[in-house]
Amino acid sequence: MSPLTMYQLVALILLLAGLFGITQRKTLVGMLISVELMLNGAGLSIVAAAQLTPANAMLGQLGALFVMGLAAAEATLVLAIIVVIARRFGSTKTSVVSTLKG
Amino acid sequence: MEEMAKVAFGLYALIILGGSLLAVGAKSLVRAMVGLIATLLGVAGMYMLLNSVFMALMQILIYVGAVCVLIFFAIMLTKADPEGEEAESSPLYQNVLALLAVLVTGGVLSWLVLTRPLATTGVPVEVTIEKLGLGLLGPYGLAFELISVVLLISMAGAVLLAWERRNGK
Repeated sequence: MSPLTMYQLVALILLLAGLFGITQRKTLVGMLISVELMLNGAGLSIVAAAQLTPANAMLGQLGALFVMGLAAAEATLVLAIIVVIARRFGSTKTSVVSTLKG
Repeated sequence: MEEMAKVAFGLYALIILGGSLLAVGAKSLVRAMVGLIATLLGVAGMYMLLNSVFMALMQILIYVGAVCVLIFFAIMLTKADPEGEEAESSPLYQNVLALLAVLVTGGVLSWLVLTRPLATTGVPVEVTIEKLGLGLLGPYGLAFELISVVLLISMAGAVLLAWERRNGK
């Protein structure tokens, strides 16, 4: 098994853990944690693919840096949304925040 | 040295696996955050193994330093449940569907990864910080500027959303 395949399998583990968390968690903060896991898997996969193949390594690292920047922006916005929801509904459980549920 | 790299890879992979299991499975959200931090540090170690030291430092600085503190604030600012936020058991069909999503996605993606190996160079290339900086200011300058605009807008949006008007005004 080549090193790149091993790195990609680790990234796949991160993606799957995040996917399981986001479908199974019952609070918004738990889902945010799962999203961070998935974004980390994406970054690891990009950097591994760029560093271990003849592709442009600088482009790979910059892409992963942009993923990190987007993750930071996303975490900021989700924090604000969670604060608003906690103020309006008194809880951040997804079962409480289900006004649109038919 | 080759053996050392393999041992380090295995160690970091174990840290990532255990940390992500804790982050996904813990009943208390603070414990889940501890798992997330362990995972992030493991990924930083992976970046070190991939010969991209700058990425490892940025991982620790941005994720562990900023994003995790933000999520801790989110836990603090919402009412925490004393016996754990995720303590109540979810319905069976939800667990089954989550497992199904994981198995199908994992099966397809791992089959793709394992049956289509890419030609690798074996040794990770080294990219100096100077090259990264020149890339950010040269060919990828537009993306660099745009991400700063995105960060500014998200910051302003967060302030706008969480703004609490004083009573009487």
